[in-house]
Amino acid sequence: MTAYRDSVAGPPDEYVEAEIHRLLTEDPAVAEQGITVVRTERALVLHGEVESAHRREEILRRVADRFPDVSITSDIGVVRAQAPTEIEQLP
Amino acid sequence: MVIRIAAVGDVHVDEDVLGRFRPALEQLAGSVDALLLAGDLTRHGTEAEARCVAREFGGLGVPVVAVLGNHDHQCDEVPQVVGALAEADITVLEGDGVVLDCPGGRLGVAGVKGFGGGFAGRCASDFGEPEMKAFVRTTTESADRLGETLRALDCDVLVALTHYAPVPDTLAGEPLEIYPFLGCYQLGQAVDSAPTALALHGHAHHGSERGTTPGGVRVRNVAHPVIKQAYSIFHLGDHLDQGEVSGVAAGGIQQPWS
Repeated sequence: MTAYRDSVAGPPDEYVEAEIHRLLTEDPAVAEQGITVVRTERALVLHGEVESAHRREEILRRVADRFPDVSITSDIGVVRAQAPTEIEQLP
Repeated sequence: MVIRIAAVGDVHVDEDVLGRFRPALEQLAGSVDALLLAGDLTRHGTEAEARCVAREFGGLGVPVVAVLGNHDHQCDEVPQVVGALAEADITVLEGDGVVLDCPGGRLGVAGVKGFGGGFAGRCASDFGEPEMKAFVRTTTESADRLGETLRALDCDVLVALTHYAPVPDTLAGEPLEIYPFLGCYQLGQAVDSAPTALALHGHAHHGSERGTTPGGVRVRNVAHPVIKQAYSIFHLGDHLDQGEVSGVAAGGIQQPWS
């Protein structure tokens, strides 16, 4: 992880956002490219959908381990996998 | 003449997903002529994950045809991944095609993973550093193979299957800045070089479902997080009403004309 000159203030939020975004893809325990990191006034919010509840929990655990001082809010869902209710006809 | 296709991409199967798709998949036999998988079948592209894909998507009683995605390349085990899928009779296309004899006619599927590069006027060029030229040449070679296959297949209904997007329409919802990593116009050009009836892709989890190529070919993004169901079903045929969407009763998938 990058060291920052102003250690008291910590890294700017934009760099944290970038590092979390890369962590979500490059950490083999996560490997998700479909999670969006959004900065709000109070926290970083993770948006997106994953294939299992286990993966959602793992994302939050890995991000909290790596960035223990960053306030993270999750809005990650698990994609539904039911049969379709409609057929699209394409002439 | 009607060809019935089910399609989904970006299922990212590993052990924790086993069984999630299966109840819906078991309704496919007798309802569709083929299931097409638009890449990112696994999380990291390991042989073990591919065996999970084979268990989940194999033995369905319908032909299954797939392309790989970028996730399926992560661990550099592509031959083992393809081998594990082949054992479950899942056909993996990469710059080639297959023709399936269906009750409604011959369905031709040309498949390639594809690559990024961006879209007309906002794309990477074959110029400059070796890394940039290699990037763009990967794009053009992939699209060229798709075009050649589409033009060569002898069939009644022609479908292009890719992981990366051939048009920007189906990326709506993704940040504009990452479009060049999600698809390229050369794939669209390949689709338009043949009498393609439908182009299916995945990869763009935040994209949208429907688009068309500049040549008027329908494009559908079937990434699982986009369609939010186990698969989408498309009926392709001459006599169908334009844009009609048929309802399905609570009992499951039904023929729209029954």
